[in-house]
Amino acid sequence: MLQFLLQAVWLIPCYPLLGMVLSALWSPSIIRRTGPRPAGYVNLVATLIAFFHGIVAFFEVRQQPPVYESFPWLQVAGLDLSVSIEISAVTLAAIIIITGLNFLAQLYAVGYLEMDWGWARFFSLLALFEAGMCGLALCNSLFFSYILLEILTLGTYLIVGVWYNQSLVVTGARDAFLTKRVGDLFLLMGVLAIYPLAGTWNFNELAQWAKTATVDPTLIALLGLALMAGPMGKCAQFPLHLWLDEAMEGPLPGTILRNAVVVQTGAWILIKLSPVLMLSPFVQQAIVAVGAATAVGATLIAIAQIDIKRSVSYSVSAYMGLVFVAVGTQQIEAAYLLMLAHALSIALLVMSTGSIVLNSITQDLTQLGGLWSRRPVSGLSYLVGAAGLMALPPLGGFWAMLALADGLWPSRPGLFVLLLAVNALTAFSLTREFGLLFAGQPQPMAQRSPENIWAITLPMTVLAGFTLHLPLILQSLGLLPEWINLNQDLALLLIWSTLTGITIGAVLYVAQTIPKPIRLPGKPLQSFFANDFYTPKLYRSSVVFAVDLLSRLTDWIDRHIVDGAVNLVGFASIFSGETLKYGNVGQTRFYVLTILSGVVLLILLVSWPLFTSIWTQRLWPTP
Amino acid sequence: MLSALIWLPFIGTIIIGCLPKTVPAHRIKLGSLMVSGAALLWTVWLLSQFNPGSTAFQFQETLPWLETLGLNYELGVDGLSLPLVVLNSLLTWIAIYSSSEQTERPRLFYALILLVSSGVAGALLAQNLLLFFLFYEIELIPFYLLVSVWGGSNRGYAATKFLLYTAMSGALILAGFLGVIWLSHATSFSYSALLEQSLPLGIQFVLLGVLLVGFGIKTPLVPLHTWLPDTYVAASTPVAILLGGVLAKLGTYGIFRFGMGLFPDAWAALSPWLATWAAVSVLYGAMAAIAQKDIKRMVAYSSIGHMGYVLLGGAAMTNLSLVGAVAQMFAHGLILALLFHLVGLVEAKVGTRDLTVLNGLMNPIRGLPLVSALLVLGGMASAGIPGLVGFIAEFVVFQGSYAVFPIQTLVCVVGTGLTAVYFVILLNRTCFGKLDNATAYFPKVEWFERTPALILAWLIFLLGVQPGWLMRWSETTTHQMAAMPAPRLVAPTLDQPFQISQDSLSLPTSNSLTTHL
Repeated sequence: MLQFLLQAVWLIPCYPLLGMVLSALWSPSIIRRTGPRPAGYVNLVATLIAFFHGIVAFFEVRQQPPVYESFPWLQVAGLDLSVSIEISAVTLAAIIIITGLNFLAQLYAVGYLEMDWGWARFFSLLALFEAGMCGLALCNSLFFSYILLEILTLGTYLIVGVWYNQSLVVTGARDAFLTKRVGDLFLLMGVLAIYPLAGTWNFNELAQWAKTATVDPTLIALLGLALMAGPMGKCAQFPLHLWLDEAMEGPLPGTILRNAVVVQTGAWILIKLSPVLMLSPFVQQAIVAVGAATAVGATLIAIAQIDIKRSVSYSVSAYMGLVFVAVGTQQIEAAYLLMLAHALSIALLVMSTGSIVLNSITQDLTQLGGLWSRRPVSGLSYLVGAAGLMALPPLGGFWAMLALADGLWPSRPGLFVLLLAVNALTAFSLTREFGLLFAGQPQPMAQRSPENIWAITLPMTVLAGFTLHLPLILQSLGLLPEWINLNQDLALLLIWSTLTGITIGAVLYVAQTIPKPIRLPGKPLQSFFANDFYTPKLYRSSVVFAVDLLSRLTDWIDRHIVDGAVNLVGFASIFSGETLKYGNVGQTRFYVLTILSGVVLLILLVSWPLFTSIWTQRLWPTP
Repeated sequence: MLSALIWLPFIGTIIIGCLPKTVPAHRIKLGSLMVSGAALLWTVWLLSQFNPGSTAFQFQETLPWLETLGLNYELGVDGLSLPLVVLNSLLTWIAIYSSSEQTERPRLFYALILLVSSGVAGALLAQNLLLFFLFYEIELIPFYLLVSVWGGSNRGYAATKFLLYTAMSGALILAGFLGVIWLSHATSFSYSALLEQSLPLGIQFVLLGVLLVGFGIKTPLVPLHTWLPDTYVAASTPVAILLGGVLAKLGTYGIFRFGMGLFPDAWAALSPWLATWAAVSVLYGAMAAIAQKDIKRMVAYSSIGHMGYVLLGGAAMTNLSLVGAVAQMFAHGLILALLFHLVGLVEAKVGTRDLTVLNGLMNPIRGLPLVSALLVLGGMASAGIPGLVGFIAEFVVFQGSYAVFPIQTLVCVVGTGLTAVYFVILLNRTCFGKLDNATAYFPKVEWFERTPALILAWLIFLLGVQPGWLMRWSETTTHQMAAMPAPRLVAPTLDQPFQISQDSLSLPTSNSLTTHL
């Protein structure tokens, strides 16, 4: 039985797919009879089955080396497209996290969308995401990963657009789709270009190839940049980051998943591709540079936001930036740890802030406050999530950042300093949010704010439990460093940076001594951060403007020059016909003359070669 | 066997045309549906008998006709034409099924549609150049009438433009065919006989150029395309489905069969330019589509871009790219038919095609939820989202052509990105947004309107998940096409010295003509 479950790991993405198909059946006519809720329950069951299947398989496979299986899909003209999957502890751990968080998010959605009628659509999209991510976790082929990423891009468009009649949702869905699609297209170019070089798309074979490959440095640099752009879009890295905060307009249970695990699909592919990317030092530097810029920039932007959802989403970009730095400096294990800590903590942060947003009506931080006494469970969950994200022992974020710091310190001390700064800024940002939400006196919007029903609170507290137990889980899996090997100086520096951030944040925002709002010196600087470095404006005045202008120009050329020339020919023939008809005089001899001259002209024309040959033979008679 | 595909609809045309006036419209529709259904079933049976592993023409039929002219009734089908024959039978059935029962002059309408189907099938099956030309011209007249009688506003202008353009296309193709026959001193228009010709490269260039412009009008390729938006927009929905889904494929089919097939050397020499032409077409079509404010026009322009991928696949002439190009023809036929059907439905129910007016059709109670959902599917299929048939066809083309023309291929990839841009504009304006409650009293979408869309959507999805079912038919034929140029290079002979130098590249026709005289 256990062996069967292990061999049938490919079934895991099929459960949510089945759930998706089933819940999509709830059309308005069925809803009239049963209400929309069964569509959600079907998915909860499917997710739970997938979760347990993943757990059983994980314990079976834990001590074994990775196993690769392949299923034929399309064999055409010498191109063999087989679905290759990797069954290993890492992929199954990813599946457990994906399905587990999905289950919690779906339970959360049962409470969050209580009044909504669009359950069928929403839950089937959640299931699509779950299936896509489970598939991606198992997938061992760049080509099929690209397919899954692209389907998830479409999924993002639809899930952000669930509440399609609000204008911010429409623009958010559009920007999310197009920004991710830009990244995906570069990835597609990379997928196309790598095959002639490596002759395979399977990640394990690509890694083998990369060990011995000798390729033109320019080519491999371009290829690496193309392959890197896909993950950049998915992970919301500069300059493809602006979709993530706009995507917050979608339903919050979707946001939990998006911020926690969907953004990590990009990092996942980046890790899988890292042997290829490391072939070019330039690409390696680019990954580090993009990650570092995003980590610092997005944290600064997060601090300047007054929308709680947006603030959290910029922290997501920042944390993903750290993962990029980790991959760029070849700290794969640290990258996995960062992703794990991030998934749990961010999901928890989004859940707790979402539970406040739901019945406080507003997500504006300046209109909330003083919620600690009213919302103790949400407050505690927030604290656990925040502590799990920053480097605060003994929680997950600390171990992840320590692993990263361990690798950075000997070779790249500059990046270590950057890590400290990002950590301090994140700690400050999270403390600031905590202060604005929970400390001080309640504002009008926060007066009536009880804890939500169990369907929202239960998944939140369960997740808080998991976040707290993450160190124990890590230890049982042997992923924590031995006490002897611990670099205590680095650990202390990290802890100090966290405490500095927390202290400054607490002094400014939790202790109610300084009047709000607190602003940066100088209005332009404040708006620079608050408006996301003016990135939306920058895009509107550059790329969007250029495409718009070019399309109008093409349309104008099409109408007036290409079609104009055609219409001109038509017009000219009509005009000449109209003009010629006045040449009719009605005299027979005139017509005969016209015909005759035409015939003579024609004969001359046709027999011209004959004349010339006669002429040449006369002049130069052949002997 | 193949004749049935031509003569069944043709007999249907005659019978329906001769029915008395008293027969109600829905009976006529049912009758023509049965005729085209029979043709469709026959096609399916042919599929089951077709041997995908053979390179030869199958189910060949030969009847002597006018032997002095070299015109014989020769039919045959191979992996290149078979998918298009299936597409023709399927879309004819879909077009008839989706037509409104309130059509005016139903006898003429359905008779003409069946005649179109007969003509297209004949053109696809013909193995004789003159026979192909006859069928190619025959479907022009019913299309002209279908657009000019049952079209929307501006139909007169559009129909005349279509007629003039297509007549020009026909004239050029005839000129090209006659040129091949005369210059190669062939005695018959038979296709297989002409494959043996070995004209000098210079003449091949001229003839290929003539054919490319002729078929390029039909395809259409930029800048020969301006009849397309006007005609597609003016045509009623069933006619637009046939125009975009089937007729445009005759252009690419002709380019592949006659351009590439008869002049492989010239084709290979020209291919970098053809690939560039394809890339320009893709970008141009996408850019022009972004600026449109009318959803039907937008879909029409999308067609121009997608035909560019087919040309790219043909230009690259690798095994893979040719399979992809044939698959892309079929996929594009399905997707465009679905999009035109849905756009027609939106127009019929909401009463407008204007992007600035449409809004919020996704509303499940008062909007058109199913139509919106399928519109999302169709748009995404056209934009090349994986899991749908458009993606895998495009991908195989790209993977095949990347090795030969990397720059042009990457430009075309950018083109798919721009496709996504205008479909997002379309979906955001039509399906998303707030429905105006004051005006949202739309008629119900009937089953006969839903079913064709559901069938097409199912096929798009099914073939996207199982693309092997589409590509296996054409693999052997395209393999042979890709291998073609090598053994048939122009062999130097005694009376025709081998010289691909300056003068043979620069129009040697006048020289050789005078020597013949």
